[in-house]
Amino acid sequence: MTDTLQMLGTIAVIALATFATRALPFLCFGSREPPSILSTIEKNLPPMILLLLVIYCLKDVQWLAAPYGIPELFTIGVVAGLHFWKRNAMLSIFAGTGLYMVLVQFNVFSFI
Amino acid sequence: MTEKEVKRHEIREGNMNLFMSALKTTVPVFLGYIPLGMAFGFLLDGAGYHWIFAFLMSLLIYAGSGQFLAVALLAAGAGLTEFVIATLLLNLRHSFYGLSLLEKFSGVGKVKPYLIFALTDETYALLTTTEVPAGGSKARFYFYIAALDHLYWITGSVLGAVLGSVLDLNLEGMAFVLTALFVVLTIEQYFNSSVRFPFIAALGAGATSLILFSPDNMLLISIILGTLVLMGREKLVQGNMSVNKGIRQAHAQTRAQAHAAAKPVEDGSREES
Repeated sequence: MTDTLQMLGTIAVIALATFATRALPFLCFGSREPPSILSTIEKNLPPMILLLLVIYCLKDVQWLAAPYGIPELFTIGVVAGLHFWKRNAMLSIFAGTGLYMVLVQFNVFSFI
Repeated sequence: MTEKEVKRHEIREGNMNLFMSALKTTVPVFLGYIPLGMAFGFLLDGAGYHWIFAFLMSLLIYAGSGQFLAVALLAAGAGLTEFVIATLLLNLRHSFYGLSLLEKFSGVGKVKPYLIFALTDETYALLTTTEVPAGGSKARFYFYIAALDHLYWITGSVLGAVLGSVLDLNLEGMAFVLTALFVVLTIEQYFNSSVRFPFIAALGAGATSLILFSPDNMLLISIILGTLVLMGREKLVQGNMSVNKGIRQAHAQTRAQAHAAAKPVEDGSREES
């Protein structure tokens, strides 16, 4: 019983901390204007953050050991190429993911 | 049907279309959140917790990497302070997401608190890149996207906690769907806007943080680094612009004096754009 209560308390604390990080900018600039420097970079943040999220997805890749991140980079290249060519989000995403699953499950780059 | 009924019917149909549109937009997140959520549920189950806790955590916390971290801390028997500090640090990146959504989220009405609560990496990526279908309500469309993503995450984590040990699916590599989603959305950002510098800033900040910092910290650090670079460049450009403007004004004045019957000045307009 105390275990359950403790777990519930922990969950509540983590939930509050997470919500706080998400609500912070809205609390700060909900009623007053954000500083001008912030509003000028506001539209530049999404492209930067999205590309950083791509890079973040590669954070656990072992660049110095076989297969040297080649399945990841190869698939990203295919996804990007497909998307620049056809600009069909579903096609790019699913073709890329299918390709990657084949590459890692069948260890296609094992010869490297 | 009376006029009122027709109208109500039309609204319902419009909402249905909006929902289908959101459903289609979130399919990649569905395919990513199910295996990731299952991995989380499986881990929590392995740590000896009932599946109801997987459900509660995904319902109330709703942060992918944050919940993985929580499992690790639970297993290590961490104290509440450690939970708070680790969670704040890990999720501080979300504050930067909100910064670029202040305008988009103004005027969404009563769903705003939920949209803020449900602001995961993937939902942020979709909301900043996807256009609201013509004629549809922004608040409703955003709410559908956020709630669907939330539902996928909860479903995945409960499935993982309940079935994780029974099922033996080979889902290896499936979570790559989220990487592919981010790649596609980054390219969409590239198409939608003419600014190129953010991509250069991201490459620089990302590579630097990847090399210098641990994988767990790199996202927050690279976002802070990239934001500072963006702000620095903006300051520089603004400085240059005011200098240029001064020069151009002086130029125009002398020219106007030289050619009293002046033709419209056309050069220099390129620099301005």
